[in-house]
Formats: sequence, C-alpha cells, structure tokens
Amino acid sequence: MITVRNLHKSFGSLEVLKGVDCEIREGEVVCVIGPSGSGKSTFLRCLNRLEEITSGEVIVFDTNIADPKADLNAIRTEVGMVFQRFNLFPHKTVLDNITLAPQKVRRTDKAQAEANARELLRKVGLSDKANAYPNQLSGGQQQRVAIARALAMNPKVLLFDEPTSALDPEMVGEVLDVMKQLAKEGMTMVVVTHEMGFAREVGDRVFFMDQGYIMEEGVPEQIFANPQNERTQNFLSKVL
Amino acid sequence: MFADIRWDALQEYFPLFLKGILMTAEITVISVAIGVVLGLFAGMGRISHNPIVRLIPNIYVGFFRGTPLFVQILLIHFAVLPAIFGKSPAAMVSGIVALSLNAGAYIAEIFRAGIQSIDRGQMEAARSLGLSYSQSMFHIILPQAVRRMLPPLGNEAIMLLKDSSLLAAISLPEVTYYAKLMAGKTYLAWEPYLTIALMYLVLTLLLARLVKFLERKYGTV
Ligand SMILES: Nc1ncnc2c1ncn2[C@@H]1O[C@H](COP(=O)(O)OP(=O)(O)OP(=O)(O)O)[C@@H](O)[C@H]1O
Ligand SMILES: [Mg+2]
Repeated sequence: MITVRNLHKSFGSLEVLKGVDCEIREGEVVCVIGPSGSGKSTFLRCLNRLEEITSGEVIVFDTNIADPKADLNAIRTEVGMVFQRFNLFPHKTVLDNITLAPQKVRRTDKAQAEANARELLRKVGLSDKANAYPNQLSGGQQQRVAIARALAMNPKVLLFDEPTSALDPEMVGEVLDVMKQLAKEGMTMVVVTHEMGFAREVGDRVFFMDQGYIMEEGVPEQIFANPQNERTQNFLSKVL
Repeated sequence: MFADIRWDALQEYFPLFLKGILMTAEITVISVAIGVVLGLFAGMGRISHNPIVRLIPNIYVGFFRGTPLFVQILLIHFAVLPAIFGKSPAAMVSGIVALSLNAGAYIAEIFRAGIQSIDRGQMEAARSLGLSYSQSMFHIILPQAVRRMLPPLGNEAIMLLKDSSLLAAISLPEVTYYAKLMAGKTYLAWEPYLTIALMYLVLTLLLARLVKFLERKYGTV
C-alpha cells in the first residue's frame, strides 16, 4: 500500500532522515517508536508529503509522491492524518469540521455529508457534541473529533502522530479505544506513539527509529521481548 | 473668542460641508473596499514561496509605505494618470486610485500578519484532508485571520478617513476642500476648520464604535 525507498529528508544542512526503507501493507497497524528527535514525525509527514521529500521514493497506491508532478490533493484524500495537537478548525462546529472536506473535495452533498458525520460521531462516542465548537471540548473529545474528521474522507490509510501525547492521562484511554476499534475493523494505520502498551497490543509490526534510520522492525513480541539491536534494547530499557 | 463666532457665515456654508463630508465618507468607503481586495492579493503574494510571485507585491508595498501619501496623490493625479489616459483625470478618480493603492499597501501587511498569526497546524490539517492551498486559505485560514485583523483594519480605515483630507490639494470636493473654500472667501479660520475637525471626529468615533461592535460579534475564535 505504501512503499518507501531510500527516503532522505534534510532541513537545511540538518539531515533528519538518512535513508528509510519500509513497506506498509493493507490492513496492518504499524507503530513507530523511538527517541525524541529521531525523525518519527518527519517520516510520517513525508508519507503524505506535508514535508517536502529531499530524495528517495514514497509510493502511495502506485503514485510516487516524491515526484513534483504527483497529484498531492488526490493522494491526501486517501491518506488521513491525526495530529498531536488535534488541529481542529476553531471557527467551525464539530459537524462543520467533519463535513467540510467531504463537501469541498469529494463534492458530497450537504445532507449526505452530515448524515455520515453524525454516524462517525456516534462511532467515536460524541453524538451529543455535533453543534459544539472545539474549544468547548476536552482534549480527548477533540482528538476523537479529529479522528472522525479524518475518517469522513474514507481514507485507505490513517497516519497518527503521537495522538495521545497532548492529552491528560485520564483521556488517553478514550482515544486509544477508538484507535483499537479502527484497527479491529481493518483500517491500515501508521501510528507514531510513546504508548508502548498500545504498540504491543494493537501493532502488527513495530518500527524502531533512531538517528534518521529505521534501526529495527518486527512484530511487537519480538521487538519488545527480544530486541536485536543494541539501540533498541537501550531505548526500551528506558521507556518500559 | 467664541463670542465672535460668525454663525451666519457657518450657516451659509454648512450645506456644502455636509455635501463634502458625504464625499469624504464615500471616498473612504470605496478606497477601503478596493484596498482590502488589493491588500488580500498583495498580502498573499508576499507570503508566497515563489520569489517571483513575491517581487511585485514587495515593490508595491515598499513604495506605498515608504513614500508620503501626499506625494503619491500628486504623482498619480498630475503625472501617472495623465500619462496613461492622455488627459487630466477627474479628481475623484485620482483620489480613489491614490487612496486605494495606499490603503492596499498597509492592508497587505495586515493580511500578511493575520495569515501568519494562524497556527501552521491549521493549514496542515486542511491540506491533509485533500483541500487545495486556495481552498484551505479561503475556508480555514482567512476566516480566522480576518477576525484577528479587525482592529488593525479599523485603524487603517480611520487613518484613511483622516488622510482623505489631503485630496483637497487636487480640488476634490470633499469636506476639507469646502472648508478651505470658505476660509478663502470669508477670511475666517476658526469657523470652517473647527467645524470640519468636529465632523471628522464624529465620523472617526462612529467608525471606532463600529469596529468594536464587529469585534465583539465576530472577534472570538
Ligand atoms: N521544520 C523543521 N525545520 C528544521 N528542523 C526540523 C523541522 N522539523 C523537525 N526538525 C528537526 O528534525 C529532527 C527530527 O524531528 P522529528 O520531529 O521528526 O522527531 P521526532 O522523532 O518526531 O521527535 P519527538 O518524539 O520529539 O516528536 C529534530 O532534530 C528536529 O529539530
Ligand atoms: Mg514527533
């Protein structure tokens, strides 16, 4: 579904990704872990080209999005993204946050978009918040709205960048529960996370990133119980 | 001193002052409106990543903010527009062109600052949903930016209202023009100039009120 080959990304003279190769398959949940500054967010943001790609290939459903001529808007409708700090549109109601892109991009008519949005709100447990504004919601609720907003485009894959890091601890569970449900329904997900419990329980595979490389990848049991790379061992001994 | 006010002369010229202040208001409203459109495009151009796209708005904004409005009015009325049309333009045309271009340059900076004050994550979220750059600007960034721009935009409108008095120099029949006319004919100074000062004050206070009202209505994001 997504194939990354020799991906390099520099900010000026700072090389953040130094040659990343990987494959994301349909229906799997890949969790990306690693120390702060290792390039996890940058890697994720290259998958829908929110960051310009310095070199290498990122092939998303047969399109190399590193190509300057790639139709990014079309690709992005299929690749949803959920941000650490939610990034809901503060001047729009919850319902309008969710229905905007389907109406403007997919040309779904308003009634249909709203019906879909209400269904998604029910799914994330926020049916009663359709007419609220984002600043009237808790962090956990905002993040669930953000997930509903991404789902409204019917994406083939969802990218999450530390979706629970900005949340108060008591709200982490409600967001992870929604993500678990999505995983169960077969959604393809790439999740940058510090929630090792989630990675272990929900992840089909885990990438350990460090110093701009995917240092080690494998099924969670192997990465967590029997890491091969010394850096992985080191990192896990600190966070577990 | 006030005991000597020539009420009779004031009474005679007051209808002209009213006509003039209407012209002042009209010129201001039209110039702010055109200035907002110019400012929107110039402001967006200035934040473009493309240096060629940035060049023209940068020169435009730099010139009109870096030279006196009075000189711009003279230049446009006596040099630029005659050169383009081959004959002297109507003062009204020159006045609107000069004030609009000047306002546009300042409003461009207001747009630029307003747009750049919106969190980067807003544009990223919009783009990640597949919205194009202009759709994201139009539906997400600008509505939020405009709310923050209301106070500086209001200031700009007030400045423009006051600065429109400079157009008397090209004989545009706005209120200052009539005050000078009265002063010239009657050799009075207090009567015409204090009167129009108060008229300007009423308008600027009303405008400030309107901006406050809009801010309260739309200002909270
Ligand atoms: N826009 C940018 N401009 C310059 N440097 C950047 C930019 N974005 C990220 N970096 C740098 O790239 C490196 C990797 O950043 P990145 O955000 O990908 O790390 P991360 O693994 O997500 O870390 P964290 O766990 O703290 O989120 C860091 O050194 C960071 O300072
Ligand atoms: Mg990060």
